[in-house]
Amino acid sequence: MSLKDIIDYVRDEGATYCDIRKERWDTTSLTLKDGEMEKVTSGSEEGAMVRVLYKNGWGNVGTSDLSELKNAAERALAMAKNSDKYKEEKTGMADVETHEEKVEMPMEDNFLDISTEEKVSFLKDLEKHLDKGFVRSTELRYIDRLVDKEIATSDGTHVEMRIPRIVTYMIITGKSDTIQRSSEGIGGTGGYELTERAYEKKDIVLDRLETLLEAETPPSGKMSLIMDPHLTGVFSHEAFGHAAESDLVSTGNSCLEGKIGDKVASDIVTINDDPTMEGYGSFPFDDEGTKARSRTLVKDGILNDFILDRENAWKLDMEPNGGARAEDFRVKPLVRMSNTIMEPGDMEFDELIEEVDKGVYAKSSGGGQVNTGEGTFQFNAQEAYLIKDGEIDKPLRDVSFNGFTLRTLQNITGITKELDTGIGHCGKGQTAAVTDGGSNVLISEVTVGGRE
Amino acid sequence: MNGKLNDSVKKALELVDKKNLDGDVFGIKERNISYSIEKGELAESSEYEDLGLGIRVIKDGKIGFGYCTPGKEEKGVRRAEELSTLSQELELKLPREEDVSEPKIFDKKVEESSLEGKGAEFTQQVIDGAKDLKDDIMPTRGGLSISIGHKVIGNTRGVFLKQKNSAVSTGVLATIPRDETSINASESRFSRKMDLDFTDIGKSAAEKVDSLREGSELPEGDVPVVINPDAFGMLMWFGIVPAINGENIRKGKSVYEGRMGEKVASEELLMKDDPTMDWGVGSGPFDDEGVPSRKVPIIEDGTLAHFIYDLKEAIKSDTESTGNGLRGGFKNPPDISDRNIILRGEGKKKEKLLPDKGILVDGVMGAHTLNPASGDFSVVGTPAWLVEDGEIKGKVEGAMISGNLPDALETTELADDYKKFHASLGSREIKMDLPSARFNSVTVSGK
Repeated sequence: MSLKDIIDYVRDEGATYCDIRKERWDTTSLTLKDGEMEKVTSGSEEGAMVRVLYKNGWGNVGTSDLSELKNAAERALAMAKNSDKYKEEKTGMADVETHEEKVEMPMEDNFLDISTEEKVSFLKDLEKHLDKGFVRSTELRYIDRLVDKEIATSDGTHVEMRIPRIVTYMIITGKSDTIQRSSEGIGGTGGYELTERAYEKKDIVLDRLETLLEAETPPSGKMSLIMDPHLTGVFSHEAFGHAAESDLVSTGNSCLEGKIGDKVASDIVTINDDPTMEGYGSFPFDDEGTKARSRTLVKDGILNDFILDRENAWKLDMEPNGGARAEDFRVKPLVRMSNTIMEPGDMEFDELIEEVDKGVYAKSSGGGQVNTGEGTFQFNAQEAYLIKDGEIDKPLRDVSFNGFTLRTLQNITGITKELDTGIGHCGKGQTAAVTDGGSNVLISEVTVGGRE
Repeated sequence: MNGKLNDSVKKALELVDKKNLDGDVFGIKERNISYSIEKGELAESSEYEDLGLGIRVIKDGKIGFGYCTPGKEEKGVRRAEELSTLSQELELKLPREEDVSEPKIFDKKVEESSLEGKGAEFTQQVIDGAKDLKDDIMPTRGGLSISIGHKVIGNTRGVFLKQKNSAVSTGVLATIPRDETSINASESRFSRKMDLDFTDIGKSAAEKVDSLREGSELPEGDVPVVINPDAFGMLMWFGIVPAINGENIRKGKSVYEGRMGEKVASEELLMKDDPTMDWGVGSGPFDDEGVPSRKVPIIEDGTLAHFIYDLKEAIKSDTESTGNGLRGGFKNPPDISDRNIILRGEGKKKEKLLPDKGILVDGVMGAHTLNPASGDFSVVGTPAWLVEDGEIKGKVEGAMISGNLPDALETTELADDYKKFHASLGSREIKMDLPSARFNSVTVSGK
């Protein structure tokens, strides 16, 4: 049976809406640790997720047995009917333009044509560049994934797409009076050509580790903070972007609920989320088959849009904008970001630094977490420097900072001209490949956590 | 029901054997049914069934790894064999058949509940428990999941082991809306048997958020911090578990390198990895390499006693596997992993740990940003309350807690409110059994 036949069958049985997402994943994963090829792995898997809406209740069934798809659809319908019994609030799917298209995202240099031997050689060569006296241990990882998806909906959309993603990680460790590590992930949506970028980042990873080995613990308390482009990107994603995810907005879990059209950030802040730009989080159609498009979430400090899938767009009476993404065929899509960028400003870096009497210049993300309902966040920088009287002073390690999202966005007082991006994996119960980026950004006040 | 999985593992093993190669095949089958909570209602039901094989082949002392779904065994074995030529040479010694302990990890009642679709009723109990406390408290997000898992491991030296496990987990976020931003608190619990009180889980989240209405001033400086089991578990997993990993010890990436036999924690602290205990979060008869489970004492009476190893690291470190090779699903080769970490201490009543002036912390934001090499951390305690004269007062906001976890452990006191703690982080899981703790040497800032 074709996907359409199964969908028609479920509709005939009374389903309000149904979609099926069939996927095949081909992955190669290599790990080189301290000169030894520790893991050489390759594999394929396939499966599908059937989602059925019956009146106001959902039933979702993921299976790796494609011969059992009709059975999965029947189970999903039965589960949806059961969910509906518990549900009082109405739900629906906002209308979208339907598509029948086949899209292959480009690879300049197809990684399927590159032998595993060559990929191993790439890691071994990259490792040679990281061989410095202060590096005690190296770990390099290479992963390429080719995902073929076919999505059909009961509204008539039928899209097929091929998405190649590739990533290289460099993690190095050194020891002085403490053990420190420095890491960087490099990659994107594309082919083997993206591995070249790892060589461009190797010095950053090395310099950072060397600096950290001499760094001191940070001061604590409220002070100014300058974030570098990578950290600005992660801040835009974590502190702001998650709160702009419509599933959190529509269920009373976002500090941005009811604030479209309100001023939520300083006038110089514009934040876009764009799956159509080049990035690790790019895709042509989302996992509901909605065509991808750029979303301007904040325009000149005013909240302009949310990231919206079809159901939450219906609930919020807004327009879906391709915000549904699923980790794989085992799970239903959630509302997720893609490539999140805080737009550059007009300042030079020197001008930014001059504005700070006492503060911290924080570079590259060490991770972060957010409470979207309360509008609070915590971040960690991989590398940081004290700023004293408008000048960069001594290096600091293990710098974390926290604050209130809305207050902090209003406290952004300067943004520089240059734009840079970094890649990451966002966790929200499921993992999603993302790019985050921005410029150097000055926040007039956040709380820095330190031991002094 | 699992004939397909067993047959597929056997078929792959025969293919490896036919090629006169050494190797093991790990099969997994898991059926998970989950229910989500949105805005005070059961919003949807989801189900997935996962099935797959991880094939490890050893050829000329080199290891290759492939994975596939049943029916594609030939391709999986061929891939693993091809890739083996690229890996390091290592004389991996696969285990031979021996007796394994059989901890209780499967409860038939969980499976029956799953088949009868009772999860929706249980989810409704969680919702009602949270809704019934006060009119303005709403369970805005959450969920409940019931899973039945099967693992099979076979190797070319005669091992063929099977296990079946069950699990129920639920978590809920209770929210009180406010004009500007809301306040919220969560509760989550995990069990391998059908013994959770679902109403109480909802009620507990509601009571927590209800206690956050009034604010107090954050005490700053080196004040004691009492931390609830979930948050303590997160810090221990990111800060101490990497330090007991045999590979990190050998490579000098652990603060515990060269400290075996030294005092590293408060006198009465016991940390062990015990996958043999009945109903343990991470219990099971064998690890994902077919090595029988055993108790591994890690810190005894505050003294560092043992590290954890899988088969591969055991060779490199010239020791034996401690049964700590896990795969995190069928798609990954085995790696060193904790199984079921147990933490015990003085066992004081939690009230006795509350200081004259300090804070009580229920959760931490940013545990994953802890420096795994040094153990340095700076996290936000939230929700958190002021503690004065041993009494819990109002909510404190923006409580940044900084310190070094291995150092802090030397003066940490433990309570007796033991909790089974489980969290999923991608392909890795936190599986612990631990109480609340009092840190006496950390810094609080953020006023």
